[in-house]
Amino acid sequence: MIHFKIIQRILGVLLLIESAILLLCALLPMFYGEKDLFGFIISSLVAACCGMTLMIIGKNTRNSESVMTRRDGYIVVAISWALFSLFGSLPYYVSGYIPSYTDAYFETMSGFTTTGATIIDDIEAMPHGLLFWRSLTQWIGGLGIVFFTVAVLPIFGMGEVQLFAAEAIGPTHGKLHPRISVSGRWIITVYVMITVLCAVSLRFCGMGIFDSINHALCTAATGGFSTKNASIGYFNSHSIEYVITFFMFLSGINYGLLFFAAFRGKFHKLIENTEFRWYFTIWLVFTIIVTVSLYISTPYNGSASIRNALFHVTAIITTTGFTTTDYTQWPPFIWMLLGLGMYFGACSGSTSGGMKSARIAILVKSMRNEFNHILHPNAVLPVRVSGKVIPPATKQSVLTFSIFFLALVFLGWFFYLAIGIDIAEAYGISLSCLSNVGLTIGYHGCNIPWSDLPALGKWFSTFLMLMGRLEVFSVLLILTPSFWKHR
Amino acid sequence: MKIVIAGAGNVGIHLAKLLAGENQDITLIDESPEKLARLDSSFDLLTIQESPISLHGLREAGAGDADLFVAVTTDESRNLVSAQLAHYLGARKTVARINNYEYLQPKNKDYFSSMGVDSLIYPEMLAAKDIVDGMKLSWIRQWWEFAGGALVMMGIKLRDNAKILDKPLAQLGRELPYHIVAIMREGVTIIPSGDDTMKAGDLVYFMTMKKHIPHIRKIAGKEELPDVRDVIIMGGSRIAVRTAQLMPDYMNLKIIESDMARCHALTEQVDGKVMVINGDGRDPSLLLSEGIQHTEAFVALTDNSETNILACLAAKRFGVTKTIAEVENIDYINMAEKLDIGTVINKKKIAASHIYQMMLDADVTNVKCLTFANADVAEFNVKENARITRGLVRDISLPRGVTIGGLIRNKEAVIVTGNTQILPDDHVVVFCLEGMIKTIEKYFN
Repeated sequence: MIHFKIIQRILGVLLLIESAILLLCALLPMFYGEKDLFGFIISSLVAACCGMTLMIIGKNTRNSESVMTRRDGYIVVAISWALFSLFGSLPYYVSGYIPSYTDAYFETMSGFTTTGATIIDDIEAMPHGLLFWRSLTQWIGGLGIVFFTVAVLPIFGMGEVQLFAAEAIGPTHGKLHPRISVSGRWIITVYVMITVLCAVSLRFCGMGIFDSINHALCTAATGGFSTKNASIGYFNSHSIEYVITFFMFLSGINYGLLFFAAFRGKFHKLIENTEFRWYFTIWLVFTIIVTVSLYISTPYNGSASIRNALFHVTAIITTTGFTTTDYTQWPPFIWMLLGLGMYFGACSGSTSGGMKSARIAILVKSMRNEFNHILHPNAVLPVRVSGKVIPPATKQSVLTFSIFFLALVFLGWFFYLAIGIDIAEAYGISLSCLSNVGLTIGYHGCNIPWSDLPALGKWFSTFLMLMGRLEVFSVLLILTPSFWKHR
Repeated sequence: MKIVIAGAGNVGIHLAKLLAGENQDITLIDESPEKLARLDSSFDLLTIQESPISLHGLREAGAGDADLFVAVTTDESRNLVSAQLAHYLGARKTVARINNYEYLQPKNKDYFSSMGVDSLIYPEMLAAKDIVDGMKLSWIRQWWEFAGGALVMMGIKLRDNAKILDKPLAQLGRELPYHIVAIMREGVTIIPSGDDTMKAGDLVYFMTMKKHIPHIRKIAGKEELPDVRDVIIMGGSRIAVRTAQLMPDYMNLKIIESDMARCHALTEQVDGKVMVINGDGRDPSLLLSEGIQHTEAFVALTDNSETNILACLAAKRFGVTKTIAEVENIDYINMAEKLDIGTVINKKKIAASHIYQMMLDADVTNVKCLTFANADVAEFNVKENARITRGLVRDISLPRGVTIGGLIRNKEAVIVTGNTQILPDDHVVVFCLEGMIKTIEKYFN
């Protein structure tokens, strides 16, 4: 049974929140005296009107319809992402800075899903207000739109469990606190702290205030939108690169673990966590291989090899997608390796995309068990994560997820080939969208002109990004007929 | 001394029998009339048919003026409650049997004392410790440390290749680095004197110091036996889990368990280096495919004593050098020894001997009840003017069946021979036939 009234009411509230955020962004054009003020005010009004309408439609709730089910949770989450992007794209479109609606929607979805792929060819020509809104979409989407709004404003008083379950990242999520809204506040605290620290550090490294804030928002969200055309490469500063590398890595760690480490002093929880260990190991191995390859095959000296390897491996594995240089100029071995890193992602419960290290760990351990099983046919071989045996159902869902993920990458690859993209780029775009990275691989540069994609390709990309961000099943589920049956 | 035992389970009954033989006032309290009926008629003790956690029942059993209250039902929480109630009624010392490792940690000791539980015993843990000790020194059947490890006693099965066979002990030499305290031959315990000899097939108990262990290994003909690296445990009992946790890192462990649900539960209790295998540990093809031929130790810990004995025999045939069987049926223990099962583990005996030591009124810090030899080992601090200090050991007419193995003087371990003079404040380790501890106490006080 699907409770449309509740869904409408919640979506209405979410839209009102978006409208308020848009209105806040209107302060920037006022401050800088730029022409996008009108765009923000119109967008905010439209969002507010639609939000009100939805709330009024959903208001007459009968008593039997006051309980939210799991299905309602999934619908709310999937629709709210699409809806947020719909209204979030209005400022770009109405103000005329992005004349095509397809492009505006792509840019917004790329923001909310923290992908960081941009269709704007000259970013530096954009007004401050739009640039800030663009970074803010990433920051809001980093932890999840519904999560963000619900944790910041506990407005519903119901259904949080269902909503969080539908939007949560990763195969396993232990609760931090018996009350989900309290855990939410803890996680937001960590998020805000990372962002503030990152902004302050960047300011100290000589970045302007506006750029520091924008880059901090996009770093903590592992999004990858930059206010400069050349991304981080524009600043040409080693210290800025190291600061961003550090905060990208930090944002890839499970926020619950970060909370316990930072506010409760329980570092051992972090160190003993299997997923964190795998994340760290994968990151370290990639960094070492890329450093050595760069040192051997490019003119970089030792420190430049290390710096470039660190920055790009971190940017790719945390699925942030900042760059300092066009890494597709390096030998194909290296950028294909970075492409492999796009699959992995960082930790569940962080802001990163990809498959997540926990799934990789469970996959590898399951594979090892298969080999053991041939040698010891009677052995009972469990998969342990952080010392605990994971139930077979979790293992099963991890395997299914991995197959779906791979299948979607290949499906996307064929789709982009079909609309006439080169073979390497097609693979890169498909993987990049699904993993929410925003950089690609291939012979046309790591920041391919996304604006050159045909409209159909852009719409398909937004779909892939949403699938990747909501971990495939949440989106696929509401596309299945059985979901809508009244049983 | 007045002792109240709550719970007529295996441990309770064994303990009651053991203590009844010592002429103590034993009261056994249990809810089940069937369990009590057999005991009441055949042993010198009082049985009360009441719940061990009812105040009325405990009062009736006389827990209020008991010197020692022992709660050994199968349920750990009942034991803790029962011990607390007994303490509240006025029992002087309370002991509870538990199943939870956490409770044993030293930092929790004060809490349990404040609750009125003076001591905790965890038989599975004690058994697991014995098993692991046995595997670390696989050529030794039994192993005890005294006085914090300064003196060790070990039981070794002598084979034809031992170098000390068929010679009277007096002719082995004067200042030996060991003292032979007991010989088990065909189920009979001999406390040897100078003219006794050792024969192939004897289980000989040596008392020595750690630095002389390689020498003992040489004279006992055990040098070519390999150290234990690969271990198979049959039966995923709680002892198996504890053994897995206590096992040193260099040993590889496989646990074979026939119940699938239990296998899954096991995987959650042991860590990644232990492999859990679903199957019947008596199946030779399974054992072969799991590499029994390269395994040095086989431990049978199923609920069934017969299965354990037979499985160990089968493992011996595959060439496993060290076999350990859990035999809960006390009557089978001698049989298991005759069948040449290496080490026999009996939870009841281990638990009972552990409690037994708590009730000894002399300054005894450790009494072990031996499974094979019908003998006790006790430690005494020699008092001023004790009878034992009046001359050389050979001049004091100790009763037959008692021998002094070694002593600690000024923190130095000394092997006791006939020419040793025992001094006050010496810490001596005495070996005696079962039930004689009370008789020999007077020599040391």
